[in-house]
Amino acid sequence: MATAQLPSAKLQRWAKSPFYFNTAANLVRIEREQARSLGELLEGLHTCPDDSIFQHTFRTLQEHHFIREGFSNDFAHWAFESCNEVGLAERLASLDIREFTSISKLREHIIAIVENYLKTNSRARERAAMEPFYFCASDTIVIPTTIVARNLQEFSDGLEKVSLNSIHYHFIDARLRLKLNSNDFSVWLDQEMDMGPLADRLNRVDIYTATLQDVRRQIVRDIQFAM
Amino acid sequence: MNDHIQEEHATTKEIPSAPDVESPLRERRKHPRISETPPVPAPPPRLEDYAPIIGQAYIDELRYLAQRLRDKSLKMVNSTAVGGGVAEILSQLIPLMNELGVSTKWEVITGGNDFFEVTKGFHNALHGGEYNLTKDAKEIFLHYNEQNRRRMEFVEDFVVIHDPQPVGLIASKQNTRGKWIWRCHIDLSNPHPDVWGFLRPMVEQYDATIFSSPAFARQLSIPQYLFYPCIDALSEKNKELDDSYLDKVCDDFGIDRKRPIVTQISRFDRLKDPVGVIQAYKLAKKYVDCQLVLAGGGASDDPEGAVVLKEVEDEAGSDPDIIILNLPPWSALEINALQRVSTIVVQKSIKEGFGLTVAEALWKNKPVIASAVGGIPTQIVHKLTGVLVHSVEGTAYQMRYLLTHPEFAACLGRNGHEHVKENFLLTSNVRRWLTLFQVLLGTGHLSGPGQT
Repeated sequence: MATAQLPSAKLQRWAKSPFYFNTAANLVRIEREQARSLGELLEGLHTCPDDSIFQHTFRTLQEHHFIREGFSNDFAHWAFESCNEVGLAERLASLDIREFTSISKLREHIIAIVENYLKTNSRARERAAMEPFYFCASDTIVIPTTIVARNLQEFSDGLEKVSLNSIHYHFIDARLRLKLNSNDFSVWLDQEMDMGPLADRLNRVDIYTATLQDVRRQIVRDIQFAM
Repeated sequence: MNDHIQEEHATTKEIPSAPDVESPLRERRKHPRISETPPVPAPPPRLEDYAPIIGQAYIDELRYLAQRLRDKSLKMVNSTAVGGGVAEILSQLIPLMNELGVSTKWEVITGGNDFFEVTKGFHNALHGGEYNLTKDAKEIFLHYNEQNRRRMEFVEDFVVIHDPQPVGLIASKQNTRGKWIWRCHIDLSNPHPDVWGFLRPMVEQYDATIFSSPAFARQLSIPQYLFYPCIDALSEKNKELDDSYLDKVCDDFGIDRKRPIVTQISRFDRLKDPVGVIQAYKLAKKYVDCQLVLAGGGASDDPEGAVVLKEVEDEAGSDPDIIILNLPPWSALEINALQRVSTIVVQKSIKEGFGLTVAEALWKNKPVIASAVGGIPTQIVHKLTGVLVHSVEGTAYQMRYLLTHPEFAACLGRNGHEHVKENFLLTSNVRRWLTLFQVLLGTGHLSGPGQT
């Protein structure tokens, strides 16, 4: 006869305050700036709104969340496809948005990459691109869901139920909101569940070599392992 | 479908000889069984019907978004009730908006032949064609817009005007409380300056515009948003089909499912370059075995279509593996089946609008080879969700490559399907509309980067 196992202490632990799952809806706004050369891109990078930098890095990663094989951001993609500047494209593609907790720092970093490249490749500055770069921006609406977690099991269940938009909102966009090299899930696990090591483990899940669906699976696996 | 693709590298293997086409298939190709009557239209799908496709969480999100718009009303206005892409989009969109609790009406403007002649001229001119904008043409355009404006009421919270024909209805805005949006489905990247100069002051009175691609937009003083054209995963053209039906369609058209099938679906129009597709097929066929299916319409009711069809038949010559199908407009199920049985889908257009046949093929997990024109590069990220080409030779090479590298082809198909699921489905556009209305109202929880 099988005996029911007692739930682990971690499973019984209740959060000091619950985790409310939100999600976000995004709308792409077409901006007035266009770049027909790398020189014009550089000008646009200086003057475009923060929403544009966000759109072409954070949001475009979300729009292509299903690709494992090398889509990173629109600037890298355009440098490669329309300008045929492979060296610049590689440098831009190596940019990891998780290292940035503010758009202004991210903007400075992108500008520095393009400026440094043009210093040693000055003829590339004016060379006409095959297709213009159209600066866009993102309008975002945050939507509360009805899914709430008060313990680890509910948290794991919630992660499996919510859309990938919600995963992106809490796991990736959150860095800009929190101004921390962390994410909503890790912050909650650390501060509300006293589970620092698990919080750290989640924060190390790689978003560039996995699809967002893979990221969700990895997070759920880590939580279930901790339970 | 890729199990019959040859695994060897095309450059290192012997040139295969095309198997003899069995005589019943050969006969069928000469006399394909084409449906002569339109089928009875299916009832529109309900929101929950999409849950197995996009996931319950996405359906729930649409409901959360719509909750904030429950007391709001919407009117869509265009110029045709049936036929054409806009009417098709509206007939799919409006039942879903109503089901979500956003009271939505659809009205169609009326006009005489003189009005539609002028608007057809405007349409071509806005695409960059030559046009002589006369005083008469302007008066006819404004007269019918004014006539419709007096006939219609605009009491809704949102009024969406589709395309240039009814753009003059904006004259009613000053007496209404609603937000006015102009949805432009055409490419305005290179408009005739006189026609655009005439329409632009009207457009700039709207609260916002929507374009299908950043490349199609103009620099305007009002906000411009990006809504991709979309396909309906549950429509006749895109829904899942039984394998037995796929067999039947192949049997009707004389297609051998055991051998690779390369397909282009498009009307017989030089801008779709069907002759170029045959030339690419002939180059590829030196190295790999395959059949080519060219299926589309437009040759029965369009004199130029008939000429192009003849050119295509001449280019095909006596090759028994080229199957040319001039289909009637009610062939959505057959087109769906042809895309599903294809090993590769090609869209070798010379000029293109958004090119939604690409999205249709990607949705069916097909590796797509397509020209980098119009909206196609938005759908195909080169070597990630398909391959982009610029020539007959490039198309031929990619046919050879994909037919001999099935794992890569399958990966493109998988990524392409996900790309459509994320960006080009009807439900994605429902979400965009609901988001746009909240952005325009300034309601909901607006968040910029770094804000909570």
